Amino acid sequence: MTDILAAPKGAVWPRLLLARAAAADPTDLEAAIKAGAFDGLRKATAELGPVGTMAMLADARLRGRGGAGFPTAEKWRAAAAADADRRYVVANGYEADPAAFTDRTLLERDPYAVIEGTAIAAFAVGADEAFIAVRSEATAVVAALGKAIAEAEEAGFIGPDALGSGRDLVITLRPVQGAWMLGEETVLLKALEGKRGQPEQRPPYPTERGLFGRPTVVQNVQTLATVPWIVTNGAERFRAIGSSDSPGTILVQVRGARRSGVAEVPLGTPLRDVVALGGAPADGHALKAVLVGGPSGGILPADVLDTPYDFDALRAAGAHIGSGSVAVADERACVVDLGRILTRFCADEACGKTIPCRIGTRRLTEIGDRVATGRPRPTDLDLLADLSHDIVESGLCDHERLATLPFTSGMRYFRSELDDHILRSSCPAGVCHPIAVAAAAATR
Amino acid sequence: MMALPGLGIVKGMAVTLRRFFEPKATVMYPETPATIPPKFRGRLQLLYDEWGTLKCETCFQCAQACPIECIDMGGIDTKERYHVHWGAAETYGERRDESALRRSGRPVPDPAYERFATPDDLAAVDAILDEHDRDPARMLEILEATQDRYGYLPVAALKRIAHATGAWYAMIYGTASYYRHLRFEPPAGDGAGAPAGGGATAAGIPNETTYLAGLDGALGGAVAGRRPGRRD
Repeated sequence: MTDILAAPKGAVWPRLLLARAAAADPTDLEAAIKAGAFDGLRKATAELGPVGTMAMLADARLRGRGGAGFPTAEKWRAAAAADADRRYVVANGYEADPAAFTDRTLLERDPYAVIEGTAIAAFAVGADEAFIAVRSEATAVVAALGKAIAEAEEAGFIGPDALGSGRDLVITLRPVQGAWMLGEETVLLKALEGKRGQPEQRPPYPTERGLFGRPTVVQNVQTLATVPWIVTNGAERFRAIGSSDSPGTILVQVRGARRSGVAEVPLGTPLRDVVALGGAPADGHALKAVLVGGPSGGILPADVLDTPYDFDALRAAGAHIGSGSVAVADERACVVDLGRILTRFCADEACGKTIPCRIGTRRLTEIGDRVATGRPRPTDLDLLADLSHDIVESGLCDHERLATLPFTSGMRYFRSELDDHILRSSCPAGVCHPIAVAAAAATR
Repeated sequence: MMALPGLGIVKGMAVTLRRFFEPKATVMYPETPATIPPKFRGRLQLLYDEWGTLKCETCFQCAQACPIECIDMGGIDTKERYHVHWGAAETYGERRDESALRRSGRPVPDPAYERFATPDDLAAVDAILDEHDRDPARMLEILEATQDRYGYLPVAALKRIAHATGAWYAMIYGTASYYRHLRFEPPAGDGAGAPAGGGATAAGIPNETTYLAGLDGALGGAVAGRRPGRRD
């Protein structure tokens, strides 16, 4: 199991998602009910009703935790308003980033929160079938969630005639595996339909035409786990947590110099505090860069550490929340080397549907390789900028758009380092070793 | 009938004159763009990249999209491990000769599928199909169950699945070739040197393992404890 990092001393970070994480057996339904599980579902079905629930979420300004930060209530309303005979809810717990364990931690420590959130979503949008998609490789999650769903169905919270409301709600656990892209919503829907996992053009959005052509709400499991808390405690208390335009908390995977683990962080916390969770850099080394957002994340320098950790601020800074991973690099790391490893992973994992992604990310990787191995062309930086712009403009899904972030943020903040590579054939961090050798060979 | 001298020339010139004053079929391209039928898609051509490799990835998207089903493909992939095809046998090169034979009415061996004409116990596939209601929407589960049973996805089994579910063979091949854990050949040995396109081995998922190792290195030794156990 992944470690859960404690909040720094003096800071009061509320625990919404991991409130019940300390339970001895997370799949013990009775203990979970005592700790408040399924109160939200009862309140949503008995008091609020679908419209009331969605109004409450709109009031709470809850945004999707999957990375893009789309307002949850708007998504649900669109799906509920779409004209269809059936609707679906899909909980996305795939968590593609191999270095992040946030969703897995949540699903493992508190499966009932996700089940309850999924049930509330299904109730609100009028779906009678919901899927929770998780990684097959995370066997502990599959086991815990499978047991929890069975127990909840046994107790009558979900299943036929759920909670005596006269409505059926079948929640199915769907372990999927085999591609990075499955974390993307339309790709996940394709996988659930048993098809090749390639993204679809939007619009129409999944809320209009999603799983099997029916309106579908796809939400990250963290979003769904937040919903019961809001329904139980009210929108006002939720808005008091986090920043004003993105309230609430989010799970962050911190890879620090001294500690690594998952932490629940209020949105809007300065990046500095998030980075501090991982401990100070190793002796004699200074923090150089922070990689925010996983393989397609941005590389931010130490002097923008005051950026609040929320959707819009990070996006403006050239990174994104993405998989919720925050990794720290000290001055022994080279931005070019880091960027090309990230971009290479994104290029390797491209599904191949569109050319900007299939060819574009591959060319980004090649430029990175060129620069790192000492054979750069003088125009490479312009080419990087142009190519990134074209990929962003012509991309089909967010995979390729965000795959440009490592190099665009690298160029934005570490321009001099890139110039050293290209113009002076040297790597300040001493990582790209063959540079001098290659340069000497070129002049001979 | 007596031939009138010069009559032939007159007849011929008459045709010439008639044609001469008829409206011309010539299109003044590019000054005047030709009217093109709405379904016209131009000449079909496989493109090569700058290293001389075919750009076609055999994803079958063109074959699936072709409204009159004139596109089809066949062949062995770059690792010479799998024969894919879509469309009528007559239309692709390496089977054209035997198709001629087949039209002659004699029984013809099928070399393309001989490798895969294993005595696969397809009853197991049928059982898996029945278990999943022969529902193409549950294709991934069907394929995973088939792979669990055989260790890989034999062509014969895929054909049976296509037949039973009504899903195109091309679509099933597209699905199966996309997911990393599905493979078309038996796993090699004890996981060391896992086959390309093979699945997750005990050592982890190849691309992810490479990435994680690369990331550990690229972060400049800044990470303590490395990554948490990847299998939780």
